[in-house]
Amino acid sequence: MANPLLPLNATVALPKPRLGDLLAALRARDYTVHGPTVRDGVLRYGPVISPDDLPRGYVVRQQPGRYRLEYTGHGDYFAVTPGPDTWKRDLFPPRQALFHLRRNGEGWEVVAAAEKPPRLALLGVRPCELAAIHVQDRVFLRQDFSDPHYRAVRERLFLVAVNCLHPAETCFCAAWGTGPEATGGYDLLLTELDDVFLATVGSEAGREVLQPLGWEPAGASLLDLARQRLEAARAGMTRRLPVAPDRLPDLLLSRLEHPHWEAVALRCLSCANCTQVCPTCFCWGVEDAIALNGDEVTRFRVWDSCFSPQLSYLAGGGNARPTVKARYRQWLTHKFASWQRQFGVPGCVGCGRCITWCPAGIDVIAELAALTADREEDALQGGGR
Amino acid sequence: MCAEIPPEITSALRRIPWFQRLQPRHFAALAAIATLRRAEGGEVLFREGDPQDFLYVLLEGRVALEMHVPGRERVRLMTAEPMDVVGWSSVVPRVRWRTASAVAVLPSLLVALDAPAMLRLCEEDHDLGYIVMRRLANVVAQRLMVTRLQLLDIYAHPGTEGCDDG
Amino acid sequence: MTHLTVGMPWASSHPETLLAPWWAEVLAVHPETPGVATLTLRLEDDAMRAGYRFRPGQFNMLSLPGFGEAAISISSDPAAPETLRHTVRAAGSLTRALTRLQPGARVGLRGPFGVPWPVEALRGEDIIIVTGGVGLAPLRPVIAYLRRHREDYGRVTLLYGARTPADLLYAGEYQAWKHDGIEVLLTVDRAAEGWRGPVGVVPVLFYRLRPHPDRTVVFSCGPEIMMHFVVYEAMARRIPFERIYLSLERNMKCGEGLCGHCQVGPYFVCRDGPVFRYDALAPFFHVEGL
Repeated sequence: MANPLLPLNATVALPKPRLGDLLAALRARDYTVHGPTVRDGVLRYGPVISPDDLPRGYVVRQQPGRYRLEYTGHGDYFAVTPGPDTWKRDLFPPRQALFHLRRNGEGWEVVAAAEKPPRLALLGVRPCELAAIHVQDRVFLRQDFSDPHYRAVRERLFLVAVNCLHPAETCFCAAWGTGPEATGGYDLLLTELDDVFLATVGSEAGREVLQPLGWEPAGASLLDLARQRLEAARAGMTRRLPVAPDRLPDLLLSRLEHPHWEAVALRCLSCANCTQVCPTCFCWGVEDAIALNGDEVTRFRVWDSCFSPQLSYLAGGGNARPTVKARYRQWLTHKFASWQRQFGVPGCVGCGRCITWCPAGIDVIAELAALTADREEDALQGGGR
Repeated sequence: MCAEIPPEITSALRRIPWFQRLQPRHFAALAAIATLRRAEGGEVLFREGDPQDFLYVLLEGRVALEMHVPGRERVRLMTAEPMDVVGWSSVVPRVRWRTASAVAVLPSLLVALDAPAMLRLCEEDHDLGYIVMRRLANVVAQRLMVTRLQLLDIYAHPGTEGCDDG
Repeated sequence: MTHLTVGMPWASSHPETLLAPWWAEVLAVHPETPGVATLTLRLEDDAMRAGYRFRPGQFNMLSLPGFGEAAISISSDPAAPETLRHTVRAAGSLTRALTRLQPGARVGLRGPFGVPWPVEALRGEDIIIVTGGVGLAPLRPVIAYLRRHREDYGRVTLLYGARTPADLLYAGEYQAWKHDGIEVLLTVDRAAEGWRGPVGVVPVLFYRLRPHPDRTVVFSCGPEIMMHFVVYEAMARRIPFERIYLSLERNMKCGEGLCGHCQVGPYFVCRDGPVFRYDALAPFFHVEGL
């Protein structure tokens, strides 16, 4: 008995044992599926062949400067929260060959780095990560210019989002409205309940993949359960932005000499972890790699970080941001203030990775509170959070 | 006022912007202690260690301020252009003698004001004294700005081994 | 954000990737001052060369395989874009290699980029150009333009200085500039044998002028601290912020606002600058380490 044709935004129930069928369906359409896997004691994004590759039974405990992945044996595949990896690794690789320069008589010729762009299906994209992909879309795909490498991967991308029911202590997507529930921008959305996944169709491509799988209509009780769990997840996140998001640019850009910058600079190690794990950070540099015979050079684009002193190096010596304070301020004001003016959206999605992976345990929410406080006393209180 | 002020003194002083703003009695008092001095290119107006006899205002030409540094050639610190004051230290009571030399680089015309007389006038008439000292404060401030920027060596290229490029 | 229209939209030689350069032949390498040389370049692609237009103050990204790219201001006359002059100071491995090229060598070129000096829009004004060291290079196209349209402008004055007399850039051209009605006031930080000109710093040259604040515009480029003092001197003469333009310099990797390197506050120096009107820059210009 064939199921009726699924409309857009329809939600159905997919029994958990059918997860493998979803993976097979994606592979049959030539997608390489990437998803969360457990490797080296942390969650890493990598190839997922079968549901056994997923972190079923794991939970994550995250705090400022602390990350622990624990196996408790429960039955959920996606009870974890993101680890140090982000999906930008697939869309904006850390090291990307742009082109080769080959000697040609007196001069050189440009030879495109012939790479077939990967056709990826990302499985388990959290709402905050979905938001981050959309933020990076604004950075890499603009009206006047779009990054051809990013676009090639992005156009072929299939997104299976997953609603977040177990936010970590460091999460604050609710403060931005970017989670714990995904509201659009995916091909399929899964909400994990005990025996089934609720699957929501987000696009034509998503409908096409889901249609032939063994789903059942989702009863009202299942939908209510999902709603309740999402509400609980939302309520469980207590971090709040100290001011409304649209006030951050004016406030931060007018407090560039606030004494609190000195205080946070004493703790910051300028290690660049936050920029590595941040799903929206996009600074990049260029490296030329010369072949041994000297006749071919490959020009690479590589990840860079505003915490790297070289980034702000000035020609002829000197550095525009010679202190840790200057670099920390650059990162925070770019992420929370300048970004809005440059791209029309905030640069942060509330995933909390920067808080977890900072070896000094610096909490951006606390820092923002200290910097945007109305009075000195508030600033001192905020800094001690 | 007893003696007649020579007309060339009056017209010379009238060329100087801050003199144009003086009250007539102050203008007259300073005019009475002013003389004109011409200097050829290369002529030394005063040397370091000389007594502080005159405060100069340069009307035409260019005067260089130099110092003799034992073991090195004479160092030219900066130049004075028309309407600049040369020898401000002559009117600052604590400084006893010239701190630098002044050499005309181009043929120059200067107004020379008798420094000890000027100090006396400032003591006797504090209104004039305030105007003169305020002018000198501006002069010294400007010299300080120049000296600081020269000290900072803003065009220097500290090392050409850049980490990235440019 | 001041997005002024630029000379021509930058067109990539290989749109399927980033940063792919066009190629230009080095016609000449002219040593200017110690450590500084001017490269004269000619784009090889006929169509690109014929269509290339730039406006004063814009820059190109020049590259050598193996050395990467650097942003170099275009210092030639915008009315003659068939050849492009770039004055390069040897400050790192790439720029040092550029100054050592021989005629016939090939250089990668991408551009033009950046917001230019708005000189065309300022007809009738008095223009004061204040610059130091190699900062004169991005202003040379402005001087070229003003010489061609001299009657359209009021008083035009160049205040220029360098470390020593030997570091004064384009010294052989001052006479021609003066001949075309541009007042040239020079100074050096340190005198040298035979120098009979002023000794002192560039901002002090302002004391020789009596600008009318409501019809004077200031264009400045040079060491940032010099520009701080230029702004002070302009303010002391009541020239409003909207009449002061500065050109900034920051480490650039892409030149097109993509790589995040060249930010000053919310601005990308390569896209929102390098020429900024001072009222837009004022909240950020004096913040240490921004």
